[in-house]
Amino acid sequence: MKLMVRTIFKTALLCAAPLMLHAQFDFKVDGRDVQVHSFASQGFMYSNDNNYMTMPTSTGSFAFTDFGANVSTQLTDKLRVGAQIYDRNIGQLGKWHPTLDWAVADYKFKDWFGIRAGKVKTTLGLYNDTQDMAFLQTWALMPQSLYSLDQRGTMISHMGGDIYGDVSLKRLGGLAYTIYGGEQPQDSTGGWVYAMQTSNRIGLTADGLPIIVANPVHSIGSYGGPVYGADLRWTTPVKGLLVGESYVNQDRSATGTWYANDLPFHFKTDKDDTYASYVDYSIGKLRLNGEYRRELFYAQQTSPTSSTVFGPNTDKDIRSGYVSAAYRITKMLEVGSYYSRFYNSWSILHSDPLNHVFDYAVTARIDLRNYLDLKVEGHFIDGTMPGLTVSRGFYAADNPNGFKPDTRLLVIRFEYHL
Amino acid sequence: MKHAALFSIVAAIGFVAIPSAFAADIKIIANPSVGTSSVSSDELKAVFLATKSSLSDGSHVEPVLEKDGPAHEAFLKEFVGKTDSAFETYFRSLVFTGKASMPKTTASDADMVAYVAKTKGAIGYVSASASTAGVKTLEVK
Repeated sequence: MKLMVRTIFKTALLCAAPLMLHAQFDFKVDGRDVQVHSFASQGFMYSNDNNYMTMPTSTGSFAFTDFGANVSTQLTDKLRVGAQIYDRNIGQLGKWHPTLDWAVADYKFKDWFGIRAGKVKTTLGLYNDTQDMAFLQTWALMPQSLYSLDQRGTMISHMGGDIYGDVSLKRLGGLAYTIYGGEQPQDSTGGWVYAMQTSNRIGLTADGLPIIVANPVHSIGSYGGPVYGADLRWTTPVKGLLVGESYVNQDRSATGTWYANDLPFHFKTDKDDTYASYVDYSIGKLRLNGEYRRELFYAQQTSPTSSTVFGPNTDKDIRSGYVSAAYRITKMLEVGSYYSRFYNSWSILHSDPLNHVFDYAVTARIDLRNYLDLKVEGHFIDGTMPGLTVSRGFYAADNPNGFKPDTRLLVIRFEYHL
Repeated sequence: MKHAALFSIVAAIGFVAIPSAFAADIKIIANPSVGTSSVSSDELKAVFLATKSSLSDGSHVEPVLEKDGPAHEAFLKEFVGKTDSAFETYFRSLVFTGKASMPKTTASDADMVAYVAKTKGAIGYVSASASTAGVKTLEVK
C-alpha cells in the first residue's frame, strides 16, 4: 500500500513538474532553438487469475510507471542532435534504472540520403521505435505479440548507425528506406533475464512437447549482441495506405552462472532472422493496422554439467501478428480494438496454451487535454507460454500455484506528454 | 446541346488543369527568401510531413503551423491528408525518436504572416481573406 501511494505520488509529481515549468519549452543557445519535451505515464492492472507482466495483477497493481524527456536542436539546415532519457518500473522489470533511450547526431545530405549515428531507435514494423511512448498510441498496451513490454529492451534501439532517405515516386507515391547496424543494448532488467534468473525453464522433449527443466540459471551477467537490418515502406498512391517490409538479424549471446553449481553459463544464437510485413490504412477518422512477423531462431546454451558443451538446442519458427482498428469519435474520445496472436513454435500444437498467447483487446482513449489522456482497456487472453525466454507477460516465478489457460485483464493508464 | 456538352468538357478540363494558389479557403505563403513562386501539392505535403526540407528550386524551407482553426483544418485535409490528431501523433513520433523538431505554431493568421515574414525559409498557410503583406503567396500545382 505504501509503495502504491509512493508510486502514485512520484508519478503525479513527474506530471505536474513539467506543467509548472511549461515544458514542452523552447529556449535559445547561441541563437539556435533548443526544444525540450517530456512524457510520463502511470498505469494500473488487474487480472482475474494469472499474474501478468511480473506484477501482482490478481490483486491489482500500480507498479506500472514510465517517463522520459528529450532535448534536441537543429545545429544547421542539415544537422540535428538530440538525446532522450527513459525510465520505467513495471513489476520486477525496469526497476527504476534510467536508460539513454536515444542520443543521435543526424546529418541529412539530401532528402533521399541521410545518416544517423549514436544510440538510434530501431525501425522494425510500424511501431518498434515508438512502442515505449504509449501516448502516441490508442492502446494502453500495444499488441504484445510484436511489442511486448517485457522483451522489447534489446530490440527497441541499437548503438550504431542508420542510413535513411525518402524517394518520391511521383504518381506512384513514395518510398522510405532505413538500413542499420550496430550493437543491441544490454537489457539486464528485461523479461528474458528475469525468466532465466527466476523460473524453472520449460524445455522441449524430442517429440516437441514442453517439459519443466529444473535447473534455473542463477544470474545473468550480460545479454545482447550485434544487430543489423533494413526497412522499406511504400506510401502508395491509394490515399491513406502505407505498406512495408522489415528484416532484422540478431546475434545474441548471454553469460551467467548456473544456480546448482556456479558453473559458467553461455547462451548464443546461431540464427535469429526476423521478417516483418505491415500495412497501415487511414480513412477519415478510422485507422486500420495489420502486422505479421516471422522469426527463425536457433540457439544453443551450455549445460549445467559442462561450461563448454552446448546443448540442448532451441530451433524454432516463431510467428506472430495482429490486426487492429481505431476510430476517433470526437476530439476527446477514440475507441479501438485489436486481435493479437503469438506462436512460440509453429511446428508444435497451436492450440496448446503453453505454445501461444492470443489476446483480444478493447480500448477507450479519452484525451482530457492536448497533453493528458486516460485509457481504459480490457484484454481477453488465451494462453500463457510461461517460463520461456520469449515470454509474453507470464512468468512461473509470479504464479507459484500454476497457470489458468485464460486471463481477463483490465488496464488503466493515465498519460501526460508535452 | 452540343454547346452545353462542350462547355462541360472545357469546364472539367479547366477545373483539373488550372493551377491554383487557393485550395478551399486557404492560401500558401512563404518568406520572400524562398525562390520559387509555385509548389506542387506533393512537395507541400512532403515538407509538412518532414520528409522534404527543400523545394525543387533548392530553397531550404521550414514549415509553420497554425495551432488550430479553420485554415489549419482545411490545410491538413487538403494537402496533408491527415486529421489534426493524426498529424499531431505523426509529428510527435518524429520528435520523440529524434527525427525532427516540433514545427513552430502560431495562434492566428496575423501571427502566421508576421512569423513567416521575418523567418528565412518559412512556409505556412492562412485563410484566403488574410492580409499577406510582407510574404509571398505560392501557387499550388
